[in-house]
Amino acid sequence: MFLSNRINPVRSFSTRLTLWYGMTFLVLLLASMLGVILAIGSILDARMEEELEEDIEELQELYREQGFGKVIEDLESEMKGNEPNSFFLRLFNDKGEMLLASDLESWSFLQPVNTLLDKQSDDEPLIEVVDHPALEHISLVVFGEIGPGIYLQLGETMEEKDEVMAVIQIASIIIFCVVIPLASCICWLMAKRASAGIKEVSSAAVDIKNGKLDRRAAVASSGDEIAELAETFNAMAERIRSLIAEMREMTDNIAHDLRSPLARIRAISEVTISNAGNIEDYRSAVTDTLEECDRLLQMINMTLDVAEAEAGVGNEHKESINISMLAEEACDLFAPLAEEKGIQLQVAINRDLVVFGNKHNLQRMLANLIDNALKYTPEGGLVSIDLNRQDDGIVIRVKDTGIGIPEADLPRVFERFYRCDHSRSQDGCGLGLSFSRAVARAHGGDITLQSVINKQTIFTVLLPTT
Amino acid sequence: MGASRAWLTEMKILVIEDDLVIADLIKKGLKEAGFIVDHADEGLTGISLALSGDYDLAIVDLMLPKLDGLSIIDLVRDKGINLPILILSAKRSVEERVSGLTHGGDDYLTKPFSFSELLARVKALLRRSSNVVEPTTMNYRDLTIDLLARTVSRGGKKVDLQPKEFMLLEYLLRNQGHVVSKTMIMERVWDYHFDPGTNVVEARISKLREKVDKGFDTPLIHTVRGLGYVLKQQD
Repeated sequence: MFLSNRINPVRSFSTRLTLWYGMTFLVLLLASMLGVILAIGSILDARMEEELEEDIEELQELYREQGFGKVIEDLESEMKGNEPNSFFLRLFNDKGEMLLASDLESWSFLQPVNTLLDKQSDDEPLIEVVDHPALEHISLVVFGEIGPGIYLQLGETMEEKDEVMAVIQIASIIIFCVVIPLASCICWLMAKRASAGIKEVSSAAVDIKNGKLDRRAAVASSGDEIAELAETFNAMAERIRSLIAEMREMTDNIAHDLRSPLARIRAISEVTISNAGNIEDYRSAVTDTLEECDRLLQMINMTLDVAEAEAGVGNEHKESINISMLAEEACDLFAPLAEEKGIQLQVAINRDLVVFGNKHNLQRMLANLIDNALKYTPEGGLVSIDLNRQDDGIVIRVKDTGIGIPEADLPRVFERFYRCDHSRSQDGCGLGLSFSRAVARAHGGDITLQSVINKQTIFTVLLPTT
Repeated sequence: MGASRAWLTEMKILVIEDDLVIADLIKKGLKEAGFIVDHADEGLTGISLALSGDYDLAIVDLMLPKLDGLSIIDLVRDKGINLPILILSAKRSVEERVSGLTHGGDDYLTKPFSFSELLARVKALLRRSSNVVEPTTMNYRDLTIDLLARTVSRGGKKVDLQPKEFMLLEYLLRNQGHVVSKTMIMERVWDYHFDPGTNVVEARISKLREKVDKGFDTPLIHTVRGLGYVLKQQD
C-alpha cells in the first residue's frame, strides 16, 4: 500500500494550492483592475467637465475684456479645429435668436434653444451628459451665459476617454490571459516542489513502516519548513531505530541471562537423575536448583524494579530521609565483603544531611554503587565513599581503584543489561547501574561517571535538596 | 517462643489457592508448624468457608476460578468478619499490592515465595490479631534473651551482642525451628527490601555463632544451604 496511491490527483496538495492561489489571484486582480478602470474613467470625466467649464469661463472673460467680436472669432477657430460629428456649439441671445452655430447635422436631437433658456436659472454653467444613439460616443454638453443676454451651448463627444479606456481594457485582457496562467504555473511548480519534500517524507515513512529502518528522507538544502520537517522526521526515525536496536540487544541479553540459570538447573537435574545414588546427591541437586531459581527470580524482579524506578513508581512514598545515615548503613553492610576481598573501605560522610526521597530506592542506589565498586576492584585496592553538601544538593562520590571502564563503554554503562564484560561471565545482571541512575533521576538528580582504565572509576551522585 | 507455641497449635488456617502444587507446599508446611489447615481450590468454596467464621486466618490467592481473590476479600469485609487475610499473588506491581491492601487484605506476598517467608508472615499476622501480650523474655533451651533490657545469656552466662547481632538473634529466636532466608533477615534486621549482594548476613551469623555457640556442646544456629538459617537444637 503506497501512500501516494491513495491521494486523488484532484485533491493533491499542489493542485489544490494552485487552484486556490489562481482563484484568489484572479479575484484580486479583477477587483483591482476594475478599481483602476473606474478611477481612470471618473478622472477623465472630471477633467473634461472642468475643461468645458473653463471654456465658458474663458469666453466670459474674453467677452468682458475684448468684446463680442473676439468671442465670435475664437469660436469660429474652435469650430474649424474640430470634427462636426464630435463637436458642436450654439451661440444665441436671450430671445432665442441664433448668433453662431456649428454644423449640427449629427446633433439634431438637441433641445430647441428656447427650452434651454427656460432652464437657465443662475450664472453657473450647466453640464449634462448626453447619451444618444445618433452619436458614436457619450458626450458632455455645457450651457452657460458668456455675456449679458448671450448664451453658449458647447458639446463634445468623449471619444478620447473611450479610446483610453479601450486601451486599458485591452491591456487588462492581455494581463489576464498572460499573468494568471503564468502565476498559476509558477505556483503549481512551487507547490510541486514543496510537496515533493512532503512526499519524500511520507514515502520514507512508508518504507520505515515496511521494515526498512535505515531509510531516511532526503533533506532539501533550502532550510525551509519542509527541510525542517524532513530533518525532524529523520531524527525521529533515528531515535526509533536506536531504541529498537537497544531493545533487541536488551532482549538478547535478558534471554542470555535467563538462559544461563535455566541451563544450569537443567544440567543439575539431568546429572542427578542419571547419576545420583544417595539422598545427599539429591539434596544437593535440589539446593542448587533452589539457588538458581532465586537468581532467576532476582533478575526478573530487578528488571521490573528498574522499569518501575524509571517510570517514577515510588515517588509517592517520599519522606525526609537522613541520607548520611543511609550511606553509613550501606557502608557497614559492605564492610565484611570489603574485608573478605582485601579492599580498604574508606568512608567520609558528612553527618545528618537530609533529602526528600524514597528510602528503599535510595538504599538500593547506594548499595548498588558500593557493590559495583567492590566488584571491579582487585585485592589491595581502595574504595572510598564520601557524602557532602554542595550548593543546593547532596553529592555522593563512590571512588574505586579498580579496573576502570573503557572509554567506548562509558556512555553505555547505565543501559539495562549492559556489561563491559562482554563475555557476561561476571556475576551480576547489569541492572544495578540502570536502577541507580533511574532512582537518582526520580529524585531530580543524576549520576555521572569518570573513569581511567586500570586506575580508577568515580561515580558521582547529585541529589537536589530543594 | 515455647509459651507462644500453645496459642499457635489450635489455630485454623484457610488456604484458598487453585495451584495444587503451591497449595500442597503451604498445607504441609503449616501442618508441620502445628496449624490446622483447610484448603479450597476455587473461589466459591473458598468464600463459603471464609464466611463460616471458623478460621483464625485466611491465605488467599488473587487469581482464582469462579470467584477471584479480591471479591472474596470484599465479601468477607462486607460481612464485617474480622479475619486476617494474607494475599498471595503472582503480580508484584506496586498498584496491585496497594489495591490488595486497600480491599482489606492484611499482608501481601508475591509468588514465588519461600515457605519460611510465608510462615513468618502468618505468625506475625496471628500475633497481631490475637492480642497476645508480648513476653518480655524469650528462651530456647539454655538460651534466654530479655527484650526490654536487651540482654542475652546462655547457660546462665551473659553474652555481649552488638545491636544488629541482637536483632538477628531475636529474629531467629522468634522463628525458632523454622528456616529464615537471607532475604528475610535483610528485610527485618537491616530494613533492606532487596538483596544488596553482600555477605553481611553470613558475617553477622558467624560472629553470632562465635558468641552464642562457641564453648557449648550443642550449637543452636545452623545454616541450611539454599534456604537460610535456623535456630534449633539438632537431635
